[in-house]
Amino acid sequence: MPRRSRSAPLDRLVGALANPTRRDILDALLEREQTVTELAARFDMARPSVSEHLASLRAGGLVDERTSGRHRYYSVTPGPLQELADWLTPYERFWRGRMRDLGTVLDQLEQDDHPHDDEGRR
Amino acid sequence: MTSTDPATQSNDEDLTTIVVDQFYPHPPERVWRALTTPELLAQWLMPNDFRAEVGHRFTMRGRPVEATGFSGVVASTVLAVEAPRLLRISWADAEGGNAMQTTVTWTLQAEGAGTRVLLEQAGFDADDAVDQLSRRIMTGGWRSMILARLGEILDDAA
Repeated sequence: MPRRSRSAPLDRLVGALANPTRRDILDALLEREQTVTELAARFDMARPSVSEHLASLRAGGLVDERTSGRHRYYSVTPGPLQELADWLTPYERFWRGRMRDLGTVLDQLEQDDHPHDDEGRR
Repeated sequence: MTSTDPATQSNDEDLTTIVVDQFYPHPPERVWRALTTPELLAQWLMPNDFRAEVGHRFTMRGRPVEATGFSGVVASTVLAVEAPRLLRISWADAEGGNAMQTTVTWTLQAEGAGTRVLLEQAGFDADDAVDQLSRRIMTGGWRSMILARLGEILDDAA
C-alpha cells in the first residue's frame, strides 16, 4: 500500500496522542514544564511509567527535555504540531469559502456589466 | 491528512499566517470593486458598514463558528487602502469570544486577462495555536480523526 512520505512522523505523533494518559501529561505540561517526579506525584503513577509516556511524547515530537542542574524538565514543543496545521483548518475553510463566494459575485458583476454578451467570457 | 488544495498554504515555519491564493478571470478594477463596495462585500463576506477609508472602524456580522469560538461579529479597522492593489483591515472578535486580533490583507495583481488575489490572515499567536490545538485534543475534538488514523495504522500492521 503506498505510504505518504510524511506518514512516519505523523504516525508517531498520532501514536503519542492516542493514549489518554499521555494526553493528560501533555495537558499538565501546558501549564508549566515539570520533572518526571512532579508528574508521577501529580498522576499518582510510578516514575518508570511516566518516563515511558514521556519517551513516546518525545518520539512524537510533542515534548522537549532540558537539563538544569540535577533535574530534567519536560515541556510542550510547538514544532511538530505544525504537522497538524489543521488547527487552522476552520480558518482556511472559512477563507476558501469566502474567496469562492467572491468569484461568484464577480461573475455576477460581469453578467450585470455585459447583459447581452452571448460569448460569455468565463 | 492535510489536503493538497493548491490554493491554500500554511507557512510551514509559522503557525501564525493563513494564505489563500486565488485567480479570477476578471480585471483588477472589478475585483477591487467587489472588495471595497459595502453591498458587494456583504454578499461574499458579511453584512457590514465598511468604508474604504484608512482609520474607518466598522463591524461585520456573520454566523458564529463553534470550531474557532467565533461569536459571529467582527470588529475591524481599515488599515490600508491602495486602489486597486491592496486592502488591509484588522480583524477581531467583537465579543472577545476568542481573544485573537489579526490582520487580513488582500493583494491584487493583474495576471493575463485576470487578477491574482492573495489573501493573508496574520497575527495568530503561536502560543495560542499550541494552546488551542491541545485544548481541542484534550476535549476529544480530534478523537475521531485520531482513531480513524489509528485504525489505518493497525490495518497496515496486520
